[in-house]
Amino acid sequence: MKRFLSIIGLLLLLVTALGAQQDWIRTGTGLGVERVRLAVPDFKSTGADAQAAPLLKVFNDTLWYDLDHAGIFDLVSKSFYPLQAPGTPQDMKLEVWSSPPPSAAMVAFGNLAVTGQDVTVQGWLYDVKNTATPQVLGKQYREAASSENARLIAHRFADEIIFRLGGGIQGIAESKIFFVSARTKHKEVWAMDYDGSNQHAITHLNSISLSPRISPDGSRIAFTSFARGGVDLMMYSLDLGRVIAFPRFGGTNLSPAWAPDGTKLAFSSSRTTDPEIYIVDSAGAGLMRVTSSKGPDVSPVWNPKTGAQIAWVSGRTGLPQIYIMEADGTNAQRITEEGYAVSPAWSPNGQFLVFSWIRHYGPGAPGAQDIYLMDIASRRWVQLTHDGGRNDFPSWAPDGRHIVFESSRSGSLQIWTMLADGTQQQQLTTTGSNTQPNWSWK
Amino acid sequence: MAQNADIFFERDSWRGPLTWSAVLHCALFGGLVAYSVVIGGFRGNNWGSNGAGDGAMSATLVSTVPLPASPVVSRNVLANESKGLTQSIEQKVEPPPPDAIPIPEREAKPKPQKQIATATHTKPVQTQPIEQPTNAVPYGQGGPVSSMYGFSAGAAKGGFGFSSGGGGDFGSRYGWYVDVVRRKVSENWLKYEVDPRVGNAQRCFVTFDITRSGEPTNVRLEQSSGVPSLDLSAQRALQRIDSFGPLPADYSGSKVSVEFWFDYQR
Repeated sequence: MKRFLSIIGLLLLLVTALGAQQDWIRTGTGLGVERVRLAVPDFKSTGADAQAAPLLKVFNDTLWYDLDHAGIFDLVSKSFYPLQAPGTPQDMKLEVWSSPPPSAAMVAFGNLAVTGQDVTVQGWLYDVKNTATPQVLGKQYREAASSENARLIAHRFADEIIFRLGGGIQGIAESKIFFVSARTKHKEVWAMDYDGSNQHAITHLNSISLSPRISPDGSRIAFTSFARGGVDLMMYSLDLGRVIAFPRFGGTNLSPAWAPDGTKLAFSSSRTTDPEIYIVDSAGAGLMRVTSSKGPDVSPVWNPKTGAQIAWVSGRTGLPQIYIMEADGTNAQRITEEGYAVSPAWSPNGQFLVFSWIRHYGPGAPGAQDIYLMDIASRRWVQLTHDGGRNDFPSWAPDGRHIVFESSRSGSLQIWTMLADGTQQQQLTTTGSNTQPNWSWK
Repeated sequence: MAQNADIFFERDSWRGPLTWSAVLHCALFGGLVAYSVVIGGFRGNNWGSNGAGDGAMSATLVSTVPLPASPVVSRNVLANESKGLTQSIEQKVEPPPPDAIPIPEREAKPKPQKQIATATHTKPVQTQPIEQPTNAVPYGQGGPVSSMYGFSAGAAKGGFGFSSGGGGDFGSRYGWYVDVVRRKVSENWLKYEVDPRVGNAQRCFVTFDITRSGEPTNVRLEQSSGVPSLDLSAQRALQRIDSFGPLPADYSGSKVSVEFWFDYQR
């Protein structure tokens, strides 16, 4: 009898295994890839604390900015919203939001409360067309009550929404941009948040500092400086808050670039009179030369995906052009064929290069310097900026969807950002002259 | 003596095992019948967006089926620019006899050649490289027969309408995730990888699985479009994607299968 029961049990297992089949998605192109129509009503204040009102304003403004600049949402204008903004899921009336005038597909809502020394934020993301199980996301945050923390919480909630609805896109709301600013009469390395707020100086060398490059772990900045007499690489530790030791190689040393694992630096050095690309480890030891052609070789960047290729600028055939090679110096290929091409930056997915290009260079040519994007596999390119001025020094955001660059279109050199298709161009800095931006790795 | 009786004389009874065997077979058969009749309804649900007009497939009965015109434009195969297989014979020009003297009046006066003004700016212009595939079949000179009218995009008014999956209650639950998948694949599909000579192609189907962490795996071409470069570009679109983002946290399965189609129109 035991055997019989065990056989019946086995059969039942077989049947249930057959029954639990795979879930299928059947979909395709040609159905429209319009952006997600997202409504973000202002969060509600639930506490009676007087401190809550300014924090709530900071929070609401930051959340709106982050989602608006993510490039994947079509934010519903606030004038279309119903008068009663929901603060909790109980207040949420799905049909009001899904039907006109808002006609939203998604709604992000929640509340903010200040209790004692802490600020608490509850946030939800609802799929309003789905009446049965609308909740996509529910989050609660608690930090010490301050304006910075209200911004931080808004950034984190925005990143969470972007990660969900963007299909695994890492949000950039907490990333930083490093740049060179001359607003204190000296060119120093400065830093700011990705939206241009919180601008502050990093170095105070009272000299000329150029081309800051943040390490992949965000702990150090390598840059070029005139502070030690010659033109040398220097290293600044953000953990220690000071310049740390880095060897001098002789000659003019320019444009450091971190390998994606953070163990190596590529840079250009003229220690043998002709500027060539060299690689050292992150402490400055193990110097290795990788190019050996006549003519200057400068501005190396690593392929962030593989760490096995380097793109750089070479003047071996006259005007500067963009080249690609393996990190050991083999298999060099030229990828631009005309004009004046400088400042390459490699996209985080390894697929694209952006660079600054004067396509028609020389007397009688228009000579506009613009940012271009090239698909490396097919060598096809797209022009991203058209608005005049000098556009140079592009750098990719860690999400691979945004680019920061410097432009002189507003009359002075300032830092701008845009989406990687050239839309949503926006000026971040206004004071003094600000150049050579570098977006952090995360 | 009976004490050293041979073991080969102690025959086992066959009745017990035979009965068990019969019971096992009956139970197996009964189980399969029960599965197909009773539990067959438990098969996996379809995911799909919860937009209007959902439903896996709908067929409308019409009196006459208005077949749309072939989407492939066939040129006249008898009079095209192909040189064909025959080779033309070179015509020999007979030289004039050696004592022939040309009549001076008949000689045409050589016209003074106008100097063509050369452009001062003669720098080479970098043009977009055009891929020249070697194995593509140009239209009008053979190639696949155009068929499958019911599935060509936009031909939904007659015959069949084929909408975006949808239907099952499971699908309406995670419609936002289906939208994410559709958007992400469409963004990563680079249409310029398709042979520029192809104007219109049949639908190409690619299937793949999405793991819990959101990575596409097991990408395979389910049904070719007949245009190799289109099939390749569709598979490359999937290869470019690292992640769709993790599956919804409250979804219990370990993976989701996706059937994705690509409609190409120049």
